[in-house]
Amino acid sequence: MKRRSRLFWPLACFYGLFTLFLYGPISTIVTLSFQGPQGGLTFPMRGFSLHWFLALFQQQRVGDFKGAFLRSFTLGLIVMLVCVVLGTMTGQAFRHRFRGAKVLFMVSIASLVVPSILISLGIGVMFTQFGLVPQWYTSGLAAHLTWTLPFALLIMLAIFNRFNKSYEEAARDLGAGEFSVFREVVLPIILPSLVGVALFGFTLSYDEFARSSLVMGEFNSLPLEIFAMTTNVTSPALYALGTVTTVFSLAVIALFLLVTWWLQRRTQQTRGAGARDPTGTRALPNSAVGHDGFE
Amino acid sequence: MERSSSAPGISRRTFLAMASLAVGSGALAACVPAPASDAVSEAQAPEVLTGKIADIVLRQIGTGVSGVNEIAEQAKADLGFTIQMTALGTDENNQRAITQPGSYDIFDGEYFSLPLVVPSGALQGLDVSRIEAFEKIAPTFTTGKLTEDSVIAQGTAPHKVMFLPERNSTSFAEGMTNWATLIPTIYNADTLGYRPDMVEKVPTSWADLFDPVYRGRTAILDIPSIGIMDAAMVVESAGLMEFGDKGNMTREELDGITDILKEQKALGQFRAFWKTFDESVNLMVSGEVVLQSMWSPAVTAVKAQGIPCVYQPLAEGYRAWGGGIGISSGVEGMELDAAYDYINWWNSGFAGGFVGRQGYYSAIPENARLFMSEAEWDFWYEGKPASEPMVDPFGTELEPEGAVRDGGSFWERMGRVVVWNSVMDEQDYLVQKWNEFIAA
Amino acid sequence: MPFGLAAPYTLVLIVFLLLPVALIVTISFWHYSNFVMTPAFVLDNYRLVFSPVYLKTYLNTFRFAVLVWFFALAIGFPVAYFLSFEIRTTRIRMTLFLLCTVPFLTSNIIRSISWIPFLGRNGLLNGGLLFLGLIEEPLDIFLFSSVSVVISMVHLYTLFMVVPIFNNMMRIDHSLLEAARDNGASDWGVIRHVILPLTSPGIMIGTIFVLALVLGDFATVRLMSGGQAASAGLAIRNMISSTQYPPAAANAVVLLAVTLLVVGGLLRFVDVQKEL
Repeated sequence: MKRRSRLFWPLACFYGLFTLFLYGPISTIVTLSFQGPQGGLTFPMRGFSLHWFLALFQQQRVGDFKGAFLRSFTLGLIVMLVCVVLGTMTGQAFRHRFRGAKVLFMVSIASLVVPSILISLGIGVMFTQFGLVPQWYTSGLAAHLTWTLPFALLIMLAIFNRFNKSYEEAARDLGAGEFSVFREVVLPIILPSLVGVALFGFTLSYDEFARSSLVMGEFNSLPLEIFAMTTNVTSPALYALGTVTTVFSLAVIALFLLVTWWLQRRTQQTRGAGARDPTGTRALPNSAVGHDGFE
Repeated sequence: MERSSSAPGISRRTFLAMASLAVGSGALAACVPAPASDAVSEAQAPEVLTGKIADIVLRQIGTGVSGVNEIAEQAKADLGFTIQMTALGTDENNQRAITQPGSYDIFDGEYFSLPLVVPSGALQGLDVSRIEAFEKIAPTFTTGKLTEDSVIAQGTAPHKVMFLPERNSTSFAEGMTNWATLIPTIYNADTLGYRPDMVEKVPTSWADLFDPVYRGRTAILDIPSIGIMDAAMVVESAGLMEFGDKGNMTREELDGITDILKEQKALGQFRAFWKTFDESVNLMVSGEVVLQSMWSPAVTAVKAQGIPCVYQPLAEGYRAWGGGIGISSGVEGMELDAAYDYINWWNSGFAGGFVGRQGYYSAIPENARLFMSEAEWDFWYEGKPASEPMVDPFGTELEPEGAVRDGGSFWERMGRVVVWNSVMDEQDYLVQKWNEFIAA
Repeated sequence: MPFGLAAPYTLVLIVFLLLPVALIVTISFWHYSNFVMTPAFVLDNYRLVFSPVYLKTYLNTFRFAVLVWFFALAIGFPVAYFLSFEIRTTRIRMTLFLLCTVPFLTSNIIRSISWIPFLGRNGLLNGGLLFLGLIEEPLDIFLFSSVSVVISMVHLYTLFMVVPIFNNMMRIDHSLLEAARDNGASDWGVIRHVILPLTSPGIMIGTIFVLALVLGDFATVRLMSGGQAASAGLAIRNMISSTQYPPAAANAVVLLAVTLLVVGGLLRFVDVQKEL
């Protein structure tokens, strides 16, 4: 071990303050969500209870937390699926030169930077002008895709930037067709990274607010419901909901990380088995993919 | 929570359920085999409900003031069909009402939004002859005069937009007709609320909202048609401007009032702007704001958290608002019958008593009274000292024994209304100027 | 073949991005009155956007953008540097990296409102300052002000700066740093003359994201300023909520033009596709 640089400790402190900055406020609302039944939205704590968590699952004065959660969850899964499939397809396409690739890439960047309110208004107006009824699974899905799909593409491009072509070529030399090359060689290599795409697709959709605001139709998604609650709820139930959704997000992230870890481990194990694999296509150095999906 | 269901007593509610059922099944005689007169015993009720009524779902959009889940539940228990409530902001509510009439069956909105909604043809005229006890509705809505000698207030007073010449008209009728736009449900007289423990000077006039004593501690509501009326009350009473008709300002008047508002904003007079009633509660409870325009139940909600708050009657009088429910133009057949049942149910007492315990007034006070205790009625409507602690519909104690409602009785409060929430001829310009003020 | 693979994706962007934008541009010329808009070709809506009030709104939006960008960079660069160069083992590095990535994947709104009990008049910050005797009475400036808007946005968007810079730094060949040190460069010298130039594409990408997000933001401004501060996005949102679609559309077109100008300018300095 070399000696620590002189910058280590100052920077470590800086990093520590940064994480405090990131987690501090969340921890205040987590704390406040355990307010006693008489407690309010601000400190001091008046007792300590699970009252507000229970209140969440009881009938509320206005709003429908459970319905909103189910809608957001389902929508997140749909977006995730579309992102993984279309992201992979388009990522594959980008590995070859094709007419309009540059333009398509620029449009993808534009899709990410375009003011969210414009997308929301545009899709909303488009639906009403064409006589369609905006719903979370039509216009809502559309708005989410304009945000999540380009992200999926960027991640796929990052993955393929680090992709070692020689395995594919080897498989092709052995006479494998395009599709079986993809299925037998490319897919297993990028699988752990696809989990990253899935994670992004799901969480970006699950938490999306700005682009959803005008296109969810009759029923609110969870972030819209929470936003409505910030103006409609005067009790720590709001914080309890914040705590619950945050814990749920964390659980989802943990689940995805576990899957990634498991897939990577399995890949490494099959590498040992690769010697017996006649085509040799399963012998994969783990470094063929980026260090993880968080590009 | 228990309170809301037990207050009127089971027998009365069951009776009401049966009565509404009888009415409902009368209207549905063609579809439901059981004759209306048979629907008297409890055992038969479910049988009737297993028909198509139970499958009916009425989608209601509203502002959350009356879009309360407890009311929807009680409506289902009494009527047999489902009311699905979506709570929206005031502007979104109007927008949805106008642009997507297919997305709702019941419109729960304010009278002032009607000059915008009615021309779009999104609502159907309501057949007054199908409305029970229409004649008992407070005359504020039908003639504009609460009592014979009341002066009609400025602004979009409900009676001006209450009637249509024909069922499908897109403009209003002059006098009373058989076709109504909305059937009134709840209404109130609004004023400023303040924190007695945090101010040195008790506000007495609307002008106090601009008093430097409260600089940086006041708030105003950010809904153009309502906020502008509060602002007009303030500006006029402070002697900063005079208006021909506050309820229908000219462009020059709108320019003038916006300039004054922007100036106050630049001086740092306002702490925040709020859009929903709970937001105003949070601002008051947290002490961020000590004087602001408020709605009556917001004041009681602040008190419910153990924080003193007074809904101060002011020298110039009140700004009032009225809400009602109407039916989307496309609703027909069984749904339409159910919608009429729902409207009649609303004013039959339970809902009126429910919102009455929050400080709102019911369109038919005598029916609401059936669902309020003597003590509650005396406190909320008569302005008498509470003979027992006042509890809100959600079970929270609002007022201790002996407290008196700020501003006094129904007659004292509604009798001193000087202006209603308004849509003006220059509405587009108003909204534009208001947005400028908010953005400034 | 590649085109076929890209077709569904392209179709999604055409139908749900380009078409709506084209529609908004069209509507921005329409006439409106009392919640109803009618096809026309009028410039009134743009005249409104270019009035002094809204120009000031744009200036204020830029102020937010620059402030947030500055803090995001000032925080993001050292954090990325710490993770890439001061942490030796991959496992710890990835753990620490994940630690700051995770909040980014949770609800923005919850993260915004979580500042309110902290910054309010009776919040922890005022409480702490009072306790320390640094102030005599609670300060209003922390909440419902530009300060709270900037704090919350930095909190929300700094990650967009950390990730691309970190990605860039991870690809720097450490032997370059050794070479520089061997030639007598100080720590600062290495950072200034080797690392900074090599991470400029990452900084550019981070800048693009942060600026675009702040320019288009309305929810954070609304929540954290108590409705008081102005931003272009919030002005559009207010127009929409009073259903004045055509002026909202005109405003959105201007905002889009401004954003594309800024982003387009930055893209000249970086090939995003290559830097991923």
